Amino acid sequence: MNKAVTVSQEDEVLSEIQEQSGRRKFFKKTAAYSMSALAASSVLMPVKIKAEKHHGQGDPAILEEQVWGTTFGYPVTHNLYGLPSPYESNVTRRTTELLSSGNMYASIAVSPIHELSGIITPNGLFFNRCHGGTAEIDYNKHRLMIHGLVEKPLVLTMDELKRYPSVSRIHFIECPANGGPEWRNPQFPSIQFAKGFMSCAEWTGVYIKDILKDLGLKPEAKWMLAEGMDNSHMGRTVPIDKVLDDAMIVWGQNGEALRPEQGYPIRLLLPGWEGNLMVKWLGRLEFASEPFYAKEETAKYTALKPSGKAIQHFYANEVNSVITSPCPEKPWSDLKKGDVVEIEGLAWSGMGTIKGVDISLDGGKNWKEASLKGLVLPQAWTRFSFIYKYEGKALFLSSRARDDAGYVQPSVKQERDAVGVEGVYHRNGIHTWEVTANGEVKNVQILS
Amino acid sequence: MFKSYHKLLVATTLFAMLGTSVVCAADKTVSRTYENGKKVIDGGMTYPVYKGKTASYYMNEKAHGGAVNFGRKPTLDEIKAWDIDVMPDGTGLPEGEGSVEEGDEIYEAKCASCHFDFGSGGSGYPALQQGNAYEGQKTLTNQRINPDDDGPQRNFGSYWPQASTLWWYIQTGMPHPAPMSLSDDETYALVAYTLSINEIQIDGEELDDEYVLNREKFLKIVMPNKDGFEPKIDGPNGLENARKYYDNPKNFGGNKERCMKNCFDGDPVVARIQGVGISEYSPPISIKREKPMPKEGSKAEHPGKKAYTASCAVCHTTDAMGAPAVGDKQAWEAALKKGLDKVKHNAIYGINGMPPKGGTTLSDDKVSEIVDYMIEASK
Repeated sequence: MNKAVTVSQEDEVLSEIQEQSGRRKFFKKTAAYSMSALAASSVLMPVKIKAEKHHGQGDPAILEEQVWGTTFGYPVTHNLYGLPSPYESNVTRRTTELLSSGNMYASIAVSPIHELSGIITPNGLFFNRCHGGTAEIDYNKHRLMIHGLVEKPLVLTMDELKRYPSVSRIHFIECPANGGPEWRNPQFPSIQFAKGFMSCAEWTGVYIKDILKDLGLKPEAKWMLAEGMDNSHMGRTVPIDKVLDDAMIVWGQNGEALRPEQGYPIRLLLPGWEGNLMVKWLGRLEFASEPFYAKEETAKYTALKPSGKAIQHFYANEVNSVITSPCPEKPWSDLKKGDVVEIEGLAWSGMGTIKGVDISLDGGKNWKEASLKGLVLPQAWTRFSFIYKYEGKALFLSSRARDDAGYVQPSVKQERDAVGVEGVYHRNGIHTWEVTANGEVKNVQILS
Repeated sequence: MFKSYHKLLVATTLFAMLGTSVVCAADKTVSRTYENGKKVIDGGMTYPVYKGKTASYYMNEKAHGGAVNFGRKPTLDEIKAWDIDVMPDGTGLPEGEGSVEEGDEIYEAKCASCHFDFGSGGSGYPALQQGNAYEGQKTLTNQRINPDDDGPQRNFGSYWPQASTLWWYIQTGMPHPAPMSLSDDETYALVAYTLSINEIQIDGEELDDEYVLNREKFLKIVMPNKDGFEPKIDGPNGLENARKYYDNPKNFGGNKERCMKNCFDGDPVVARIQGVGISEYSPPISIKREKPMPKEGSKAEHPGKKAYTASCAVCHTTDAMGAPAVGDKQAWEAALKKGLDKVKHNAIYGINGMPPKGGTTLSDDKVSEIVDYMIEASK
C-alpha cells in the first residue's frame, strides 16, 4: 500500500490499455476486411463503425467498439452451471499456512467479506474450515442415523429426510476463532483474514424437533452428539435446549444443494452458535444423559481465562461488527477532500437480532449512531451505513454493534480486562481501522 | 356530578390506555426463556411462534405438528457399526490392551512423521506433550501480556479434561491420512504411550515401558486439568449450570454499557501490526478486476474458433435454422457418416439452405479449419 506499489499498478494499467488499443486496431481491420463478405449473408447485420462519428476526444471505453458489442457472446449452451465473470477472479476465498494445522486438510479458507454485497454470501465464497479435507460424499450412499435415548431409533436416506416439512432461514455461520489470532495484537493487514472466518446464507432443511416428535425423546436425554462422516469424524455435543428450539438439519444453501465445503449432503445448523458445532457431512445424532467430551471440546474450542479456568461449551458467538468499506483491501486512496462517501459494514449477533450500530471517527472516544439497512433478522448478518464527508484527515474508524439481548460490543480494553488475552475464541472487541491522511487503511487496536 | 363522572371517565380511559401500552410492551415475538420457562441456554434470545410467525419468518404451523414420519428403525448391527464415540464413564470403550513400548513402536511408524519425536510437535502439527502434564497444568493461568511472557501450555496432558476423548480421537481420527485403521489394542498402546510422555500417573503409578494399559486401568485415569472448565456440564444439573452461567455476563466478558461521549481520557492508545504482520496469503490479495492469466500447459484455443464465432455461429449455435448445432454430438455424428471430406466439401460449396462458405469469402483452408473446430466442439 505504499507509493511504489501504486506507481507499479498504474504502469500495469497503462500497459493494459495500450495492449487493448492494439487489439482494437486489429479488430477494426478484421471487421472492415470482412464487411463485404458479411453483407452477402442477409442474416448478418453489418458492424457499425463508431469511429466515423467522432474525433477521438474522450474515453476509449465509450468511443471505441468493444469486442462484446460486435461479436457473439457465449451461446446459452455454454457453462450450463454458471460461473462468475472471469474479471471477478480476484474475488475468492484465501488461505495462509499460518492458520493450518500442519497441512491444508485441517485448515481454513476465509471469505472475501470486503467484496460481498448485501447479507448473502455466494456459495463458492463461503468460508471453509475442515479437519480432514473436504469430503465428497455420494448422496445415494449417505444416511442419517438418530439413536441413543429415543424410544424409536431411526435411519433416513437423504430422499426420506427431504420429505419432512422444510424451513428456510437466513443465518450467519462464524468460526468462533474469527479475529482470534489478534487477541494480543493486530496481525493481519487484511479484513479477509482479520474478520473473514464467517459467511451468511439462506439455509433450507428440517427442524430436528420435528423429526424427534415421532421418535419419542426419553426424559433423561440432555445432550446430543452430532457426528460427521468425513475423514475427521468430527463430533460435537449440543444441549437439548437448542435441539428443541431452532436446531436444523440443512441440505439447501442459497437455493441449491449444500456445497461439499459446507457438508454436502447435510450439515447441522444451530443459529448463532459456534461454526464448529454445526457439524458438516452429518451422519449421526446420538442422545445421552451426559455430555460426550468430543475432541473439539478440549484444548480447542474452549476459551481460557486468566483464572486458569476455561469456558467449555461456549455456544453463541457474541455481538460483533466490522466496517467493510473502507478496509485495508478497499482503501480511500482515491477520495478527494469534500467527497461524500458511505462507510459500510456488517454487524451480527449469535445471541439475537442487531438493534443498532455506532460509529466512531476517533477510535472509540466519541460515538454516533449509524443506520441499519436492508433486512434485520435474528442471528443474521445485518448491514449498517454511515454517510461521511471525507476531509483528507487521519481517522481511527470503529464500529460498535448491540443486540436485542442487551449486549454491546466491548472495547478491546474492556474485553481484555474481563477475559484476558489467551481465550483464542469468541473475541468480539471493537474493531478499528486507521485511515491515514492519504487514505490508506491499516488494522489497529485501540487499547484506551 | 358531571365533572366527577367526566374525571372518572378520563381516569378509566387513561388506565385502559396504560393497560394497552403494557400489553404492547410485553413483546410476545421474542423471549429470554423457552416455552418451558427455562432461561435460553446461550444467554441470548429465542423467537417463539406468534401469530404464525417466528421473528420475520412466516411458517405453516400444521407442518410442524409431528404427523410426518419417514425412514426405518436401524438394525442393532447398523447402530454398532456407527456408534464410535467413547464417553468419560467408559460407554463405548472396548476391552483390549497395549503397552507403552508397543505404543512407542506404532508411534514411530505412524505418528512421528507429523507429531515429531516424543510428540514434540512442529511445522503446525500439534504437540502431544510439553513435559510433565501436572506442571503444565499450572501454566494455564499464564497470560502473554509482554513479549517475553510464557503462554499457557495447551496440550493433551496439561489441558484436556478427559482421557476418553484421546482414545476416541486416536481411533477415529488418527493417523490423519488413514483414520479408522487402528485396532483396539493399537489404540490402547498409543494412548499408553501418550500418557507416558506426558508423565501422567494412573492410580499413583508412572507408566514405564512395560506398563500395559487396559480398559480397567484406563477408567481410573484422572486428568490433571479435570476441574479446569466452566460451566460444570456433568451430572443432573449440567444444563441448568450452563443456563445460569450464560445468564451472567461477567462469566464470559459480556458488556452492556453503551458510552457515547468522552469514553476514555486523552488520545487513543494505538496498537499496530508489528512489521508486515501475517501477510503471506494464497492467492495474494488483489481487488483488480482482471482475467486470470491462462495457466501454463492449458489447452490453446482452437485456430478455427474465432472465425467460427464471427462468421458461422449465428446459424450453427442452435439447430433452429436447420444447421447441425455445435455441441450436438448426435447431429455431427450423423453428418460425419458422409465422411469428413464430404462435410468439408459441403461447407465450401454449400448445402441446402447454407450458401457456399456460409456466405463468407474465407479461404477454403479457413473453412476447413472452422469445420474441424465445429466437430471438435461437438464431441
